[in-house]
Amino acid sequence: MTQGFLSKNPSVLWFLLVLGLFTLGVTVLSETAGVGLISTSFVKTLGKTLCLCLIAIAMDVVWGYCGILSLGHFAFFGIGGYAIGMWLMYARTEIIVIKSLNAAAIPPTPEEITDAVGQQIFGVVGSTDFPWLWAFSDSLFLQLLMVVLVPGLLALVFGWLAFRSRVTGVYLSILTQAMTLALALYLFQNDSGLRGNNGLSGLQNIPGFERTPQAVISLGFFWASALALALGYVLFAWVVSGKMGSVIRGIRDNESRVRFLGYHVETYKLFVFTLTAVISGIAGALYYPQAGIINPAEVAPIASIYLAVWVAIGGRGRLYGAVLGAAVVSLMSSWFTGGGAPNIPLGFYTIQWTDWWLVLLGFSFVAVTLFFPKGIGGLFDIIVRKGDQK
Amino acid sequence: MLRALFLAFALFLSMSGVQAQTQSPTEDLQTVLQRHAAEVANPGRLSVGALIADLVASRQPNVASFLERWQDKGVYQRTTDGLFFYAIRQGDAYALTNMTTGESAGTAPADVMTEIRPNGGVRRVIGAALVQFQLSDPDRARRVAALDAISRSPDADQIDPLRASIEGEPDPALKLRKERLAGHLRARFGKSTEDRIGAINELSSALDVETRSVLNLVLTTTSGVAPSVPEGTNVARILKVGTDINEAVAYNRLVDANLAPAPIPPAAVKAALTANITDGRVGGIPVGQLGNETNRSDAYDALATAGTVPPQVTPAIRTAALSSNVFYDAYTEPNPAVTDAARAALDEVEARVARYQIIDISMDALSLASIYFLAAIGLAITFGVMGVINMAHGEFIMMGAYTGYVVQLFIPDYTISLLVALPLAFAVTFGAGVAMERLVIRHLYHRPLETLLATFGISIALQQLAKNIFGTQARPLTSPSWLDGAWVINDVVQIANIRIAIFVLALIFLALILFVLKRTRLGLEVRSVTQNPGMAASMGINPDRINMLTFGLGSGIAGIAGVAIGLYAKVTSEMGSDYIVQSFMTVVVGGVGNVWGTLAGASLIGFLQKGIEFFNPSNTLAAQTYMILFIILFIQFRPKGIVALKGRAAGD
Amino acid sequence: MNTLLELSGVSVSFDGFRAINNLSFQIGEPELRAIIGPNGAGKTTFMDIITGKTRPDAGRVIFGEKSVSLLKMSESQIARSGIGRKFQKPTVFEAQTVRENLAMALSNPRGPFDVLIYRKTPTGAARIEEIADEIGLSDHLTRRSGELSHGQKQWLEIGMLLAQDPRLLLVDEPAAGMTPAEREHTTDLLKRAAQTRAVVVVEHDMEFVRRLDCKVTVLHEGSVLAEGSLDHVTKNKDVIDVYLGR
Repeated sequence: MTQGFLSKNPSVLWFLLVLGLFTLGVTVLSETAGVGLISTSFVKTLGKTLCLCLIAIAMDVVWGYCGILSLGHFAFFGIGGYAIGMWLMYARTEIIVIKSLNAAAIPPTPEEITDAVGQQIFGVVGSTDFPWLWAFSDSLFLQLLMVVLVPGLLALVFGWLAFRSRVTGVYLSILTQAMTLALALYLFQNDSGLRGNNGLSGLQNIPGFERTPQAVISLGFFWASALALALGYVLFAWVVSGKMGSVIRGIRDNESRVRFLGYHVETYKLFVFTLTAVISGIAGALYYPQAGIINPAEVAPIASIYLAVWVAIGGRGRLYGAVLGAAVVSLMSSWFTGGGAPNIPLGFYTIQWTDWWLVLLGFSFVAVTLFFPKGIGGLFDIIVRKGDQK
Repeated sequence: MLRALFLAFALFLSMSGVQAQTQSPTEDLQTVLQRHAAEVANPGRLSVGALIADLVASRQPNVASFLERWQDKGVYQRTTDGLFFYAIRQGDAYALTNMTTGESAGTAPADVMTEIRPNGGVRRVIGAALVQFQLSDPDRARRVAALDAISRSPDADQIDPLRASIEGEPDPALKLRKERLAGHLRARFGKSTEDRIGAINELSSALDVETRSVLNLVLTTTSGVAPSVPEGTNVARILKVGTDINEAVAYNRLVDANLAPAPIPPAAVKAALTANITDGRVGGIPVGQLGNETNRSDAYDALATAGTVPPQVTPAIRTAALSSNVFYDAYTEPNPAVTDAARAALDEVEARVARYQIIDISMDALSLASIYFLAAIGLAITFGVMGVINMAHGEFIMMGAYTGYVVQLFIPDYTISLLVALPLAFAVTFGAGVAMERLVIRHLYHRPLETLLATFGISIALQQLAKNIFGTQARPLTSPSWLDGAWVINDVVQIANIRIAIFVLALIFLALILFVLKRTRLGLEVRSVTQNPGMAASMGINPDRINMLTFGLGSGIAGIAGVAIGLYAKVTSEMGSDYIVQSFMTVVVGGVGNVWGTLAGASLIGFLQKGIEFFNPSNTLAAQTYMILFIILFIQFRPKGIVALKGRAAGD
Repeated sequence: MNTLLELSGVSVSFDGFRAINNLSFQIGEPELRAIIGPNGAGKTTFMDIITGKTRPDAGRVIFGEKSVSLLKMSESQIARSGIGRKFQKPTVFEAQTVRENLAMALSNPRGPFDVLIYRKTPTGAARIEEIADEIGLSDHLTRRSGELSHGQKQWLEIGMLLAQDPRLLLVDEPAAGMTPAEREHTTDLLKRAAQTRAVVVVEHDMEFVRRLDCKVTVLHEGSVLAEGSLDHVTKNKDVIDVYLGR
């Protein structure tokens, strides 16, 4: 079945080929391979970018294909990050604690270990007890399950509530934004059980790989991210092709017509919303070990809006557009704000990109919305059409 | 003590007598003192009264300050002539001050000056007399200071001088305060139980914090534990272990009262085990097996049996100790009649306080609702009339606030600058809104989601621009001094003037917008464009112009809201984003396209937020979280808001 | 001919305005029925009630042999139980091809997972060809429906209704904006469809109604004013008053 699907969607094969070549190229040029043209920190940046591309295609499916402008998908991304971060932090702290407790004459009891780990993790928020949220934090398997389940369930409940009362359009956007804000505000509290605005840190240290150099770990995560993106791309391309794609694009263009054709529109929206939320969670779970730290600011509503911006700039309604948008804008963002871009002296004033990048981004985004509603992806259409004419 | 009271009372009588005679003073201070020179130099607790009475009778203005200095051991007698001076030691000599005139009287060598040292009893008598002086001092500030001093350290001696001074008090406010304070003193230190209960009953009609704390002081409890409640204890309540008090705390009380052995904490167990390792074993258990609680406990018991360490407190010992003792809270006040009266009075006071608190919170909520209304109404207009979500609305609020700040840089008078800033902020944001409508939004009608995103792009650009121009730190927008105070209704209910002003501003805008929409040509055109743009256009109304003006109006109001918000919060480049989500909520909850809806939405959200904050005052973040969750649920049940349009007009 | 759909005593009001007032209506299977009435007579609201878009304040709506009440069902359930609706404005999915439009409407399981694993079947493809032939769009199957002419879009929408295989077809002003030739084709389409099922056509254009040659129901102020053949109703005094005004 999948073969037939791939042969009918050559763009998926092209995408996989480009992604494969890119992954290979980065590997060959990385420090681990000995060439060192690409530094470890840049490998991390690229790996993170791939995760952002993954959530961008999820956003594209839910917005570009199904017409739901969700301003909450970064919340799912953050939840995925928190879920994996809890295990990373717990397991690593446990290793350190056991090491130091083993120095004593008497072997530690499990209670002592738990207390000491709790002290280490929650000392910053003035607590030592483990909140109920951390019940499964000692199990990698269960936390991985959480990466999928928590965003999925949240999306399911929220989506069910919202779609069943026919909240659509900008109302839905505002509502998803409110959900994100509520989550961020909750996480900002010190007694949220997730270390308040300290967030979770030290996530780049993977328990069990203490002796492995970061260069190798980061390459590993880069591969994992590339693999996740490839799988996600194939999955979404499959979902949006064929009859399913037909129905969800129908929902985007004329919801009530689809309803009168006998499709239960709410179920479809819920399906798309939940599926993309789960994929966003997975993307987050891969992103934050590379970022090393997650805090509530990451979940703030603005992040989800930026996500929409990437997809819009890349080009909605085509998966590679979303990938392109996320990659280009996020890489440019880190180039400009990281001081990589040269400042422009005007004589009376020097434009420092660290200050002016957001102004440029804001206005170019307005320009894209006004003049290139199809985004960068739309350029491909022009090129392809010109090719046809010749 | 009684003597001192009597004295003070006598003093009062003599003083009012003097006042009645309105006799002009004849003797100066020194003369009076010389008459009682022996008593002054070596005062006795019982005999000093006559001297003080005489001093008071002299009606010299500096008697009070003499008494103070005397009490503070600042009065000296010159042995050469027996005169009294205020003196300060300077090296080997004393700098003297003539106590009648207050002028310098040269210096004197140390050996001719004798410091006068009234003993503790005398000093107390002087103090009581002084209180009387201060309480009746012609200078209001000194009377207030005396009352403050009594509030700070109240004691029984002050009751009579305080009550004595009430009648002569010319200032009604101070008189009230004196009466209240006298009530407090009587409630705590009254001579008889009846007196105290009487005073306590009078307090039950009060509302102020001080009264509440006095009643609480009367009701102070100490926690106690004993095999049975001791005779004569005024028990506040008996605590049941497990429900009123948890076992660990209860047991610690037993330990503190030496009624039970101290438990051995895990760390101590560990330390004991570590200290007693012999041949890789502790109490016969190999060290390697000590990685769990049971084995550790067994090893420790083995050590305890051998007598090396004190035995552990087993659960059985613990339970037995807990059940054979009574835990209770006892009033420090031994008289149950007094505590019962105080409890009743406090309950009454607190019930009244709670009622006023509800009023206070309602007023807070009202002012919060006004702010949300101001912030959201502009948005509601653009959203309702044009179906356009303006994500940059928050930045227009910010723009208005910065306009106010810039105006203040040029016009130092805050009142005038405010009067200039309000219309200017309107003008600036009106212009910005019109520009945005012309350049961007006009091209995106019927694509609401894209409008949302485009205006978001403008929002981030404007925010960063503001950051680049004004910097990241907060800028002050100072309110004129007449807005600084608060309207104090009583001790519980008070509201800041600035909040009243914002409330009034919101009312003005409500009226203004209703007027514009319902009574003017523009309003008529706006409403017709809202309902049927095609028809409106064919009747000669230019929808472009209407959209432009509507957008300008909405933005302009945001600018004014910005000035108002800036006055009580800080002006930062991010202030817009603090209000934008709440503004959306207000509009969505209220129902789109309706001024009353926005008002209802703002009120709901304002009252809700304050209500939640009341139940969880320490955590405003949690309050906001709950509020948003509530709104999400609310939308489920009324997707179109409180004031919803029905039928065909609502569209789909 | 047995009764397929029955409305009795249905009323609905919006903000005090009675759009439908104690309306009773029956249609059998197969039958072709035209509904006419002046603006605001409640024609669209009538369709909204049947298809579940609007919930009536009072009355019963009963469908099929088993006499199922439609009032508790959602729009999609109603559609699945065999009621298809064509809107006044042609609403086809313009970004998708004619084939995709028809495929979406084919009467197959409608659940998301059924749709996700849906594979094209020869019978499905044959049915699409058949419908395309019927509506005269055989040559346009691979075109994006947005590129079609207005009349073709109307036919496509009727085709989508046919693909749903409904027992009751509700058609709102199918002939609006069509050329005479297109109208004729539309009339044929509807008449043929009504041979096997119930078809309700709401129309303004008397000429078109005459050509349909069927029983006519006249709606006025939310209730039935007259019912019968076109000639019969046009002679009715009340109908003349309503249409010509007094």
